[in-house]
Amino acid sequence: MISLPFWNPVICIIAFIILTAITGLFISRGQKKYKKGTAQTEIFLSGEELPTVEQRHIKSHNIYWGFFKTLKQYYDPTVRAHTGIINDFIIWLIAIVALTAVILLIAR
Amino acid sequence: MGFNSFKRALWAYHINTGSCNGCDIEILATLTPRYDVERFGIVLVGSPRHADVLLVTGPVARQMASRVKRVYEQVPDPKMVIVVGNCGIEGDVFHESYNLVGPVDQIIPVDVYVPGCPPRPEAIIEAVVKAWVKLEKAEQGVR
Repeated sequence: MISLPFWNPVICIIAFIILTAITGLFISRGQKKYKKGTAQTEIFLSGEELPTVEQRHIKSHNIYWGFFKTLKQYYDPTVRAHTGIINDFIIWLIAIVALTAVILLIAR
Repeated sequence: MGFNSFKRALWAYHINTGSCNGCDIEILATLTPRYDVERFGIVLVGSPRHADVLLVTGPVARQMASRVKRVYEQVPDPKMVIVVGNCGIEGDVFHESYNLVGPVDQIIPVDVYVPGCPPRPEAIIEAVVKAWVKLEKAEQGVR
């Protein structure tokens, strides 16, 4: 018989509430004098000009650089469609799911 | 010093705008066991968004002008600017260089000047205390 580790969702909920309260305490003790809409609320990048939101993403090819290097010829035609923006990836996902559903319906 | 308004520890952010590093070394010397400003709560922080005081060294090279301006704008109000060293005050030996757009007060408003090449750590500590007193007055003005 396999013995399962101890698991109690109530303890998890209590731990979550305690951690949320501690996080809230840290946030409430923070600097309140930042003027919204000014440079004071912008990300600090060693004084450099902040890139656009799209440019700030860690693009997916940063994770798979090894695959890209070895399969460069294969990836090059498709890389243009990969902008690194999550919205574009979701659109691709929806399109492929829809296409798969259509194929399955026809096959049926 | 009995401060009524500015009760928390004073945090400073240091930016080098093209200094030879002499003044930067003296700033670091204020943190060494001999002077140990951290015992008064004065800490060098890694982001201007956390700072109350901006420590500026160097004569402001052309490439650094926009950066120092941006860093100044990121410090929350009320803020104080301390220029450490002759270069930041009037350019010193570099004052005729084609590549300078300083001194610092041509780029951002300055509150305290610390002359010297480089200034002694005691002078830097006194400047920070002067900035602290000005911050106290500024805090009272904000309230």
